[in-house]
Amino acid sequence: MKRGKAARRLMWAAIGAVVLLGTTHSAMAEICLSPYVKQRTGQEKYLYVWSVDADAKDNDFMAVIDVNMTSPTYGKILTTIDVGSKGNEPHHMGLTDDRTRIWAGTLFSNTIFIFDVASDPARPKIVKVLDDLGKLTGMMGPHTHYALPGRMLISFLSKADGGLPGGMAEFTNDGQLIRTIQHPDSAPYAYDLAIKPGLNLMVTSSFTAYRNYSKPLSQWNMKDGGNTLLVWDFKERKLLQTLQTGPVPLEVRWSLKPKAAYGFTNVALDDSLWMFKRTNGKFVATKAADLGKGCLPADLRQSPDDKYLYVSCFLKNEIQVWDVSKPEKIRLHDTVVPGVQPNMMHVTSDGKRMYISNSLLSTMDQADRFWVRLAHIGPDGRVKMDPFFNVSFMDFPSGPARAHDMLLY
Amino acid sequence: MNSQNFLRISASRERIPLGVLGVALLLLCTSFTTIRAAWADALPQKSPPFESDGAALSRTPSLPVIRVAPDFILLNTVNQPVHLSDLRGQVVLISFIYTSCTSACPLLTARMSALWGRLKRDGAAARQVRFLSITVDPARDSAAALERYVKRFKADPARWSFLREERQKLQPVLAAYDEWTRPQPDGEIDHPARLYLIDRRGRLREIYSISFFDERQAFLDIQALLHQSP
Repeated sequence: MKRGKAARRLMWAAIGAVVLLGTTHSAMAEICLSPYVKQRTGQEKYLYVWSVDADAKDNDFMAVIDVNMTSPTYGKILTTIDVGSKGNEPHHMGLTDDRTRIWAGTLFSNTIFIFDVASDPARPKIVKVLDDLGKLTGMMGPHTHYALPGRMLISFLSKADGGLPGGMAEFTNDGQLIRTIQHPDSAPYAYDLAIKPGLNLMVTSSFTAYRNYSKPLSQWNMKDGGNTLLVWDFKERKLLQTLQTGPVPLEVRWSLKPKAAYGFTNVALDDSLWMFKRTNGKFVATKAADLGKGCLPADLRQSPDDKYLYVSCFLKNEIQVWDVSKPEKIRLHDTVVPGVQPNMMHVTSDGKRMYISNSLLSTMDQADRFWVRLAHIGPDGRVKMDPFFNVSFMDFPSGPARAHDMLLY
Repeated sequence: MNSQNFLRISASRERIPLGVLGVALLLLCTSFTTIRAAWADALPQKSPPFESDGAALSRTPSLPVIRVAPDFILLNTVNQPVHLSDLRGQVVLISFIYTSCTSACPLLTARMSALWGRLKRDGAAARQVRFLSITVDPARDSAAALERYVKRFKADPARWSFLREERQKLQPVLAAYDEWTRPQPDGEIDHPARLYLIDRRGRLREIYSISFFDERQAFLDIQALLHQSP
């Protein structure tokens, strides 16, 4: 009996030590990727940038930037991978759970390009093109590419004809359709999705449909957009609740604390951050902070310690850092100006660096120069731009390109 | 993964009565990175070790047909062929492991063991379920090495088979399940730590990540598949 007790004590001590030490370890998959994506270890080597030919007269491409600090070509574009067609509007992308492939979607041509990044990370190769998504899924505008074990879950902004409702489609990692899930007619807009596996919950957000975002910004119907967050039973893929927010909630970020049932979203046309939180078994959404008039919060990222949120104010040319360590009372912690119209951000798994690009949509961009820049994040959560890392996207043989989503290898 | 921090635990038979302690110590000596990911949402509070806690469960899971499970014939620890298609009529759970693994595999096998315990308590379910653990390291995992692993985890050989085959014959099976292996300088093998749930008609219905594997949910998934007509 004594032996059994001693064994149990030792076991719990062991588990305790693992957890205690584990919580101080930072080598996890980058924040804001699907939690199912395999961790990467060590400092990043390559930054993949999903790029739109600026005038849509030449082919779109994936750019590979050397981000290995010890490399003689650090901060340079190593290569571009031509997708073989133009006018696609490359937008977001995602890694498969095993980090061997990138699924890269386009908003105009309704196509997903699957890149093999494992065989030669410096030279990704297109291994499959899903160019019949309308026929296959009945939907249009693949947006968030979210890894599940052995599969990808993709949100779609529109029905195949460019209208509503949007929804989601699930594929095997090699591109075979498994099933589709339509958004309800009562909340038909789609955009981002984020899963909290431990809670068996998924939250989706709402933007606008192809019929709107494909037009120049001046012609957009600002009322043709969503103002809902949908809470789903993930395992059942069943809608549980519809939450009202301000107009056009975009990115969905769950708190990184394992059991915490709350998160944030950036509400684009309300210039605000909203919090969704479970209270007494039901979720509610409330405004958490005003970001200042004219911000147009386009992207939202997290620090790995769950302490800060980074918001790109596309129209105010700044990135705001919000301290969310007291989630009910968040406060502005820092502001940095990376250049004109910052949009996408990609925070490294150690939380020390943030890559930034400055294209949102070809129909919305006002900047005349496109780039990828780097910010360093201090232990105090303050952000400083790196004065030396500045990758111009103006000088390709095909001319300027809009740098959009980014992923690391 | 820093293997220099790893200590390999002897799986001697004398120590097996303290199997739980052995696995716990193994965890302590294992990559904190892997363990953190694996345990972040499943750390037991009051329940026994290796049993998940805290996650919300679904009693009516949606388990679409992902694809037909790729068929294979592999050898068990007594060199008898096991043909996946011969297991039609049973629900099958497949894992890919290797026995000298010090990170995800022992955790994964321990979680399967906990699931097996639940199935056994259920009685009827256990009789209609088979577990298959396939080594991705046939060079080091001889039949004898796998047999030692079976005993270490007290697997019921009638219901839980540990399978191997020479590299050339194994490779197509790994590829068919989208599994790959990358040998590491420290002797570890990097590979996706997934589990595959196959229904009684030989169709892949769920893929689990060890990082978020909850044997209570897997139990409910298996029950759901058993309630469907074969």
